[in-house]
Amino acid sequence: MREADRQYFQRLESQLDEAFDVAERAKEGSLDPEPEVEIPVAKDMADRVENILGIEGVAERVRELEGQMSREEAALELAKDFAEGEVGDYETKAGKVEGAVRTAVALLTEGVVAAPIEGIDKVELLENDDGTEFVNVYYAGPIRSAGGTAQALSVLVADYTRALVGIEQYEPRQEEIERYAEEIGLYDKETGLQYTPKSKETKFIAKHMPIMLDGEATGDEEVSGFRDLERVDTNSARGGMCLVMAEGIALKAPKIQRYTRNLDEVDWPWLQDLIDGNYGGDDAAEADEDDGDDGDEEAESADDADEEAAAGDDPDADESAGPPRVDESTKFLRDLIAGRPVFSHPCAEGGFRLRYGRARNHGFATAGVHPAAMHLVDDFLATGTQIKTERPGKAAGVVPVDSIEGPTVKLANGDVRRIDDPEDALEIRNGVEKILDLGEYLVNYGEFVENNHPLAPASYTYEWWVQDLEAAGADVQALEDDPHVDLEFPTADRALEWATEYDAPLHPEYTYLWHDLSVDSFCSLAETVADGRVTDDGETLVIDHTDVVRDALETIVIEHRQREDRLEIDDWNPFVRTLGFEIRHTATDGASVQGSDPGGRVVELERTWTDDDLSERARNWGHEEVGENAIEAVNEVAPFAVRERAPTRIGNRMGRPEKSERRDLSPPVHTLFPIGEAGGAQRDVAKAAKHAETMSDTPGVVEIQVGRKRCENCDSETFKNRCPDCDERTTPDYRCPDCDQRVDPDEAGRVECDRCEVEATCVETREIDVHEEYRDALESVGERENAFEILKGVKGLSSTTKTPEPIEKGILRAKHDVSSFKDGTVRYDMTDLPVTSVRASELDVDVGQLQALGYEEDVHGEPLTHEDQLVELKVQDIVLSDGAAEHMLQTADFIDDLLEQYYGLDPFYELDDRQDLVGELVFGMAPHTSAATVGRVIGFTSAAVGYAHPYFHAAKRRNCDGDEDCVMLLMDGLLNFSISFLPDKRGGRMDAPLVMSSRIDPAEIDDEAHNMDIVSQYPREFYLATREQADPEDVDVQIAEDTLGTDGEYTGFEHTHDTTDIAMGPDLSAYKTLGSMMDKMDAQLELSRKLAAVDETDVAERVIEYHFLPDLIGNLRAFSRQETRCLDCGEKFRRMPLTGDCRECGGRVNLTVHKGSVNKYMQTAIQVAEEYDCRDYTKQRLEVLERSLESIFENDKNKQSGIEDFM
Amino acid sequence: MPLEGPARIVSELTSRGYNAEREAVTKIASADDSRAVLERVIESLPEGALVVTTDHVDAALDGSQLTGPSSDRSGDSTDAAAQSAASPSTTDPSVSTGESSPNSTHEVGPSPVETEGSSSVADRSVDPDLRSLEISNDMTGASTGTGEYSDFVSVFRDRLDRLGSKLRSRVNHRPATAIESMPGGEEVAMVGLVNDVRSTASGHWLVELEDATGTFPWLVMKDREYVDLVDELLCDEVLAMEGTLADDSGIAFVDSMHFPDVPRTHEPSTADRPVQAALISDVHVGSQEFMADAWNRFADWLHTEAGERVEYLLLAGDMVEGVGVYPDQDEELDIVDIYEQYEAFNEHLKRVPGDLEIVMIPGNHDAVRLAEPQPGFDEELREIMSAHDPRIVSNPSMVTIEGVSVLMYHGVSLDEVIAELPEEKASYDEPHRAMYQLLKKRHVAPQFGGHTRLAPEEQDYLAIDEVPDIFHTGHVHKLGFGKYHNVLAINSGCWQAQTDFQKSVNIDPDAGYAPIVDLDTLDVTVQKFS
Repeated sequence: MREADRQYFQRLESQLDEAFDVAERAKEGSLDPEPEVEIPVAKDMADRVENILGIEGVAERVRELEGQMSREEAALELAKDFAEGEVGDYETKAGKVEGAVRTAVALLTEGVVAAPIEGIDKVELLENDDGTEFVNVYYAGPIRSAGGTAQALSVLVADYTRALVGIEQYEPRQEEIERYAEEIGLYDKETGLQYTPKSKETKFIAKHMPIMLDGEATGDEEVSGFRDLERVDTNSARGGMCLVMAEGIALKAPKIQRYTRNLDEVDWPWLQDLIDGNYGGDDAAEADEDDGDDGDEEAESADDADEEAAAGDDPDADESAGPPRVDESTKFLRDLIAGRPVFSHPCAEGGFRLRYGRARNHGFATAGVHPAAMHLVDDFLATGTQIKTERPGKAAGVVPVDSIEGPTVKLANGDVRRIDDPEDALEIRNGVEKILDLGEYLVNYGEFVENNHPLAPASYTYEWWVQDLEAAGADVQALEDDPHVDLEFPTADRALEWATEYDAPLHPEYTYLWHDLSVDSFCSLAETVADGRVTDDGETLVIDHTDVVRDALETIVIEHRQREDRLEIDDWNPFVRTLGFEIRHTATDGASVQGSDPGGRVVELERTWTDDDLSERARNWGHEEVGENAIEAVNEVAPFAVRERAPTRIGNRMGRPEKSERRDLSPPVHTLFPIGEAGGAQRDVAKAAKHAETMSDTPGVVEIQVGRKRCENCDSETFKNRCPDCDERTTPDYRCPDCDQRVDPDEAGRVECDRCEVEATCVETREIDVHEEYRDALESVGERENAFEILKGVKGLSSTTKTPEPIEKGILRAKHDVSSFKDGTVRYDMTDLPVTSVRASELDVDVGQLQALGYEEDVHGEPLTHEDQLVELKVQDIVLSDGAAEHMLQTADFIDDLLEQYYGLDPFYELDDRQDLVGELVFGMAPHTSAATVGRVIGFTSAAVGYAHPYFHAAKRRNCDGDEDCVMLLMDGLLNFSISFLPDKRGGRMDAPLVMSSRIDPAEIDDEAHNMDIVSQYPREFYLATREQADPEDVDVQIAEDTLGTDGEYTGFEHTHDTTDIAMGPDLSAYKTLGSMMDKMDAQLELSRKLAAVDETDVAERVIEYHFLPDLIGNLRAFSRQETRCLDCGEKFRRMPLTGDCRECGGRVNLTVHKGSVNKYMQTAIQVAEEYDCRDYTKQRLEVLERSLESIFENDKNKQSGIEDFM
Repeated sequence: MPLEGPARIVSELTSRGYNAEREAVTKIASADDSRAVLERVIESLPEGALVVTTDHVDAALDGSQLTGPSSDRSGDSTDAAAQSAASPSTTDPSVSTGESSPNSTHEVGPSPVETEGSSSVADRSVDPDLRSLEISNDMTGASTGTGEYSDFVSVFRDRLDRLGSKLRSRVNHRPATAIESMPGGEEVAMVGLVNDVRSTASGHWLVELEDATGTFPWLVMKDREYVDLVDELLCDEVLAMEGTLADDSGIAFVDSMHFPDVPRTHEPSTADRPVQAALISDVHVGSQEFMADAWNRFADWLHTEAGERVEYLLLAGDMVEGVGVYPDQDEELDIVDIYEQYEAFNEHLKRVPGDLEIVMIPGNHDAVRLAEPQPGFDEELREIMSAHDPRIVSNPSMVTIEGVSVLMYHGVSLDEVIAELPEEKASYDEPHRAMYQLLKKRHVAPQFGGHTRLAPEEQDYLAIDEVPDIFHTGHVHKLGFGKYHNVLAINSGCWQAQTDFQKSVNIDPDAGYAPIVDLDTLDVTVQKFS
């Protein structure tokens, strides 16, 4: 580790120690559940893994293996140790497999989640029909928190260990295979899966799975077929198993394949078929497997390849006969939601163009979009908005990058302009008639590595061209140093000069999208240009306005003006040269002059070729259709090489909107103090304090379940943490429910009555005087009731010991308008985004503040003196959104009051404004995990996201594809978190800071972050390899993994693209600013009409199919089998009471699903189907539904009359 | 001049793929040279005609239309594959137990392809005056519910009134509220809807009955004989209970339980003559799995001698596969357009003899509301399904043919009965046993809030007010029949081969069977056409 890094961590840790000291002092004599801070600091991952598993020797072995290999490999290595009995003390084969599987999951989740212990129930051996034994792994619901990769790997590890200890493979019975398919469908319907394999896919997996996946029943709904199977214990869906199969194996097949390839003992040849979606050819493939003849298999795959090629239009063509293109994938369009627009259909012309590179606020499941494009898609995209994308991953968080090319639009006045400035975008937005091209879309190399996705052909961009130029022999360094030359945005003349002088391809700035133009259109364009004339002192090329030519110009995305009778192109020189024209200047007699230059010369365009000159190859060039791509024609007629400008388009649609919101329980809770129903629906403590059930009851006395506690000193009983009599700390008083015998917890914390063998409990129903508690608390912190609007408690407690929180804390929370999460902490949620370098100016801080945090140099090693200098972000420094900063300030005020008025100490924070927050420590904490990561505030952004180092997010086990998590103020966590508040149910210990990591060890974070590239330039070979659609692993670009374990592991995160500000484009997505669902959907459909890359009919179809129809059908179904509810007392009835009135209170009973909620979308859906010309099938489904609604809601004998009846 | 028999004429026409109106056949038969006239009629038939009408015969006799070339239809003479070589064995399902195994003894397998030709083709000339067909309980065009809360309340009250009336005479019942105020230890009885059934910690059952005044809990002790009946209970069925009030009058201990039930003494009506009805359902035209060949064999068989006594065709729903019944259904449809599905169905319907009396009710795949009762098809669909002028009525409906009452119900609730009841009382393999439960409860879909959807109407059309002679359902695609208290329960199979979905849930449908009922004896024969 470098000295600078050491200092940084020391600094964080000493700051942490200081806070710890204060907190420990506060807790010492407190009324809190424990007299000390309840969040321990974890040393390293190995420790966590061993502790969570309780298997000795694991930590040591993990540390040993860590330096040598990846964690996945270590998991497999450990499996070997388990199999050989070197680790773990297991007698049975099943035990060995179990130990290996648990360890693998713990290792892959860095020992921070409960999945390894709670998610795997057991491993057992069962018998195949031929009498051999196989492995059965029982999964439980919490395996979810392990994530797909760890789930999938757990299966592989189980199989690997199985092979090592010598157990046979699982031979599924036909009914078991069918059961898997039905069950996954059932689970998806009941609970929902992130990815639901089709039943064919499930059966394919089930058939080939070498171990049996089984699990606990997690739902009430039972399968209807394939019940009571001998080897399946339950007829309900087994949630853990479904997750592992669907989101693990099916979804992460490419990832597992990486590891199966390296293992001799296991062979999963069917993974390739699974990845290819080739489940049909099942039988043939199987026959081959049975033969065990590798040669055959190869022949088969060769056949497949041939078939694929033959599927193209030209059967004679081999691979090289067409331009390299990726295949369309429509997966991302599934489950389209009303109000969340499609930006581009799969691989559609006019859609986002793939550009390779990593911006400084980019990488780790993000997509760089030009801020002008964000505005032009009617503000639907904002920083942090999630998009579902075609490739390379499934989803990505959007980040603004303005160093890439912006969108090109056609305005109502006929101008076609490229918009590279967000300000311009806002100015012209109302006049946009069509968005011809969405501009570039920045994806970093690491994304392809992470998703194991073959490289897609790269756009021809400056980064590539400049290396081509250098390769062609130009002195690029000299050109860069020349102040008169702008290499990236040269003049047309310069660009042409380089193209001809160095024999390098034409500069991308003047390379148009010829590959989207058909050869026919290309010829027509040339013909029209031949008749064109140059006017305006040689500035402008004017050609005839015909539909074909206009379309051609729009297709190749060149800036021009469309006028009634003519089309005008400025900067036309490279365009006509590319079209194969010679430009001649001839002297004129001044009489018949059109387009003469001041020198009195006429510019003449001479077409150097005829249509017949084009070779057969050029004429037929195309990917899907013959002659659809004019790039070869261009290269034959142009005097220089022209590369394909944008061969890869990436389809995407909006996913979730970005988030930056305080986390409130619903209803919000100020104090975890139970008040039952006495506080009304608002859970108002003040109201509960006055509440009396009847006239004879004492106001404020409420019967409530709380934990009984006993004072060891004076033996008095209470529910408080300190004895009201002698102020000693109390302990939970467990008693046997049967014999009332007092039971003390054993070493493992279990409380069981020896005599009755039942679990003892300390929970009792007790009368609590809320009024007294409330008054005492107000007095103790010295606040009056008017200090806050309302103080909300909880109805009851859900923890094991039902320990209430002191009301005092709630009073102070209410005073500062913050609310508590289930564990006593105050939280603020933000969408995660990565950033590796920042400027003081964009963070609303000054250089001095950065310097005070230890930032001394900028990214180039120059001393930091100016706000605009880029500095490399330290791994645990985070940027808060404006909202988060505001909320943190409130929390800090609350903490200060708490320390002063409750704990009797000095205030800790004393912040005046948000600038004072800079340098303060916070906890970052993600859902489904149980470990918090310490972070330090470095600045603020107006984007509604939490920017931090990718390693910080990875330490929390998040990536940035739209994930969100929370921050807590450090002292809040230390003072107010208690394990005793956590709910006593499966998953209750998730999302709670059971431990904290004080420093990030790059080796111990989610390894997804290691795949992020950290270079400032991708090599030319990389771009060439993309044309071959090479495996990303075969290309040499440095990724973070390469620096692990070196001195440079915390630094050197370079980027290829800068961006002016990490918050550009709209601050909030239109999805959040538009009001009703209808407004959003109207905007969505309106946008789909504007976008050239979007088929609005398809969007309308999908909105109807995935949103309106399910809503209508679901509500109609709900209507005809609904519950009813009493309007007065809220009592629910399964069926309408025959009395008509409420059986409980005699009040009015009404339906819970009304006509209005059933048919609210009916007319809109019909209208949309009509307006956007949907299929008859869709329209008929709506017709049938509409008639159903009429039939149910209209009286045949008294049809509702329309308004016209009254006119 | 030998008079060509009408049978011979019909046979000739069918062999060339035509149906004929009875009058047309008579006209041809009565012509001087019927054989020549027949040839002329066939030659002159316009392209695409399927039914020979009197107009065609008149035209041919006039000789004015002797123009077109001879039809090429003679080639597709079809065999009545299921023509009963072995004469249909009639069945008499065991009345006492209702046990019957239709698949073993009552089927007639496909006969040899070769048939006797003329001799097998029947003379379908029947006297329409002998027929009678009446419909009751049809709510088509009479849906008055508007989906208000009060509509729901009325429909359940109507259920209690109607079915309760069958029980009130049997027990000395009291309203729930009155029972509450009676002294402990009294003998009490109550008639009500089952509101809730749950087991107690000690293994007894608590059944909550509800009437128009409120609810009252009834405890069925686990060791009492009635405890087995608890398994059969569905929520919202009507029930009478007799028992003893507990000391605090808060609960009553059940001594006996009564269902509205079909009286054991029920004597079914029968027709006065040997006439038959074919009871089918679930045609699913438009599905890729629709078995057109089986259907054609069935239709052709009806033209044969074996089928000549079938004068009624009852269709218990799911004429077509429908649209949007399940996700991505369009990918599995042979005909994607719903109207074209009904048109195709109509074409298939044309193939059956024109003199058949046809009654249809809709099912859950049809283009009407899913909530029950389902009104019959709307005007647009009726116009499409015009072949042979069928009677289209609501689901459920009571159809009385020649004195025999047939309760037609599509059968969606069978799924629920089968799911909720123990396997020995109701299963997919013996769907008729599930139907017995409905007869016992005197309601086609008792349970609210679960699988079956309810559209509230002013009266409970789903209650079985009158005991039918035959109860006819479909939906589960399984064939099964038997008698319950002398009521013949028939669940017809289907005309759709196993779908992927059915395969995925392990259902093997009985496809291509037509149960034929002798209306004079209520015996059943199953004809197999697949």
